[in-house]
Amino acid sequence: NDLLSRVFLPRGELTYVRRQSSTSATNMTESQNACSTKAGQGGLRKISSTGEPSPCPIPGVGPGVLEMRVKEGSKIRNILGFAMSRLQGEGHVVPVTQVVFTGMGRAITKTITCAEIVKRKVRGLHQVSKLQYRTVREVWQSQEDEEVQMTVLKNVPAIYILLSKEPLDPQELGYQSPAETGSSLEEQKSGDATEVSGKRPLSPTIKCNFQVI
Amino acid sequence: MADPRSQVSASVPQKPLGFSASEGTTIEMDPMEYTLRKRLPRKLPKRRNDVYINMKTDFKAQLARCQKLLDGGAGHREICIHGLGLAINRAINIALQLQAFSQGALQLAANTSTVELIDDLEPDDPDEAGEPLTRTRNNSAIHIKVFYPSA
Repeated sequence: NDLLSRVFLPRGELTYVRRQSSTSATNMTESQNACSTKAGQGGLRKISSTGEPSPCPIPGVGPGVLEMRVKEGSKIRNILGFAMSRLQGEGHVVPVTQVVFTGMGRAITKTITCAEIVKRKVRGLHQVSKLQYRTVREVWQSQEDEEVQMTVLKNVPAIYILLSKEPLDPQELGYQSPAETGSSLEEQKSGDATEVSGKRPLSPTIKCNFQVI
Repeated sequence: MADPRSQVSASVPQKPLGFSASEGTTIEMDPMEYTLRKRLPRKLPKRRNDVYINMKTDFKAQLARCQKLLDGGAGHREICIHGLGLAINRAINIALQLQAFSQGALQLAANTSTVELIDDLEPDDPDEAGEPLTRTRNNSAIHIKVFYPSA
């Protein structure tokens, strides 16, 4: 007796597929952390979490491209150490021309940071960024009865950033030219320089003190 | 103090503060107490169709605001959603939600950038002639153009 219910959430769509009905899991609460609250009450435990395979949203990216999957716990120095050595062709390997940084959920910030650092270190890179939802399949299992399983499909935001030494299609959505990157950084630097020299004097509190004295 | 800057108490450890002194000469830091103040990010241009996402405002309110800009009386053909640091996730989430609600009518174009932020280090004890220090750090940002393709 398979049950299937759909819950719409502001952050994405959850689909619950219950393999066997059990008394403990009859109530489906409409909250994002339905699973975690139930983990306390009904004793459900997440046993696996796998990302569904999804095609890369960036057109024209061959299978030979270097793909860096950034995870929440990945160390930036490890990611960059590997990516930079491949881009610059250290050792005997032929340098790659394109790198894709992908990350989902909480790893998105780290993914962008990695791409930004690479852009700063390797000049003249063309960039295309894409956003999309990726589906993650989580399997939850009851701790009391191993037969009771629940599969949750979650939509998690993901980012794909392609950095290329070769020119890319400027009409592509999310394209950034190397000039854009360089100029915006320099502009920022010059802007900051003036700002720092202008604002560096003592903070308001200290200024106040001096006036009183 | 009517200063909107966030204030974080921090005691500066002995290690040199990010200024990696050249040729091994480390800057001597006295173990004085400093207050770390994060300055607000540089003021960015704000058009009517710019939305800066933060983590203090309710998610739903920010989503509703974007939705209103797109289909309200203002009827902007495109809006620009900006997110900095932790708010990147939320900015992306809002953009993807807008796209999902529009049943594919909206398109997204994401750009990434780096924003330089300035922190002030102020000595806690103003009597000690400690120099107020500043240090800069970088943070990632995202700018998402959400628009109806001009067909």
